[in-house]
Amino acid sequence: MDGIGATHIDHIVIASNDSGAVAETFQRNLGLEIKRTMTRPGTGAQLAFAKLQEVVLEFAGPPEPKPGEEVKARLWGIVLAVRDIRAAVDRLRAFGCEVGDPKPAVQPGALIATVKSGTHGVPFALIQYEAISPATGAPA
Amino acid sequence: MKALRIDHVGIVVKDIDQATATYARHFDLQVDPSRGGEIPALGIKNAFMPIGDSALEFIQPLTDQGPVAQFAKERGEGQYLLSIEVDDVAAAVEHLRGLGYRVGDPNNGIAFVSPRSSHGVNLQLIQRSAR
Repeated sequence: MDGIGATHIDHIVIASNDSGAVAETFQRNLGLEIKRTMTRPGTGAQLAFAKLQEVVLEFAGPPEPKPGEEVKARLWGIVLAVRDIRAAVDRLRAFGCEVGDPKPAVQPGALIATVKSGTHGVPFALIQYEAISPATGAPA
Repeated sequence: MKALRIDHVGIVVKDIDQATATYARHFDLQVDPSRGGEIPALGIKNAFMPIGDSALEFIQPLTDQGPVAQFAKERGEGQYLLSIEVDDVAAAVEHLRGLGYRVGDPNNGIAFVSPRSSHGVNLQLIQRSAR
């Protein structure tokens, strides 16, 4: 395999203190369609997703926006789709990057691993779809 | 207006050569020699590394003035800008101004949206067919 096998930007995370409000603003002003909303298991974070061709915009925020607080958002992270996440993680670690172990993503059947260094200040993650069985968690 | 796709993500870095070398080594991305360079009017130089149907843009401030330099001063390196391709940048600008937002005049198919329109996120609208 060449390199880490990255195929495209899978999603871009926009973090805020009110993901619903930010998603609504982007929907209204830019004509994006919010395809899905969900609560992240474990953390309770509120997520909203819009897709522009191959790239998903993920709007992420806390479980409960604070009433009356000014809504603030920032570009936060980039997730690259890879063909083989375990091989990609091994390769980045061989370069000295700090990379988390692949773990199940909120997307069924996908594994995700966070890249914590070697990205010039950009929080990165790698994702591989159809990596595990959504039902059993076993490798696909 | 119609948003078509994410054109690129802008990343502010201290040293563009070092950053693109890092991304080439770690992520196997290659600099597109047909895009980028010094833009004295903006006080920056940039380089694009395509990935899939989009690209990462690396932006290095060349002066201590301007929004990129300000970002670098306050936050160091990191994601700076989201560029969205639209079908008609002039119509998009008109649409957003009609909603009361501040948007720069289109120049060479590109318009910058005030972050106030998007809760602090720097947005660029780009019409590829107008470039």
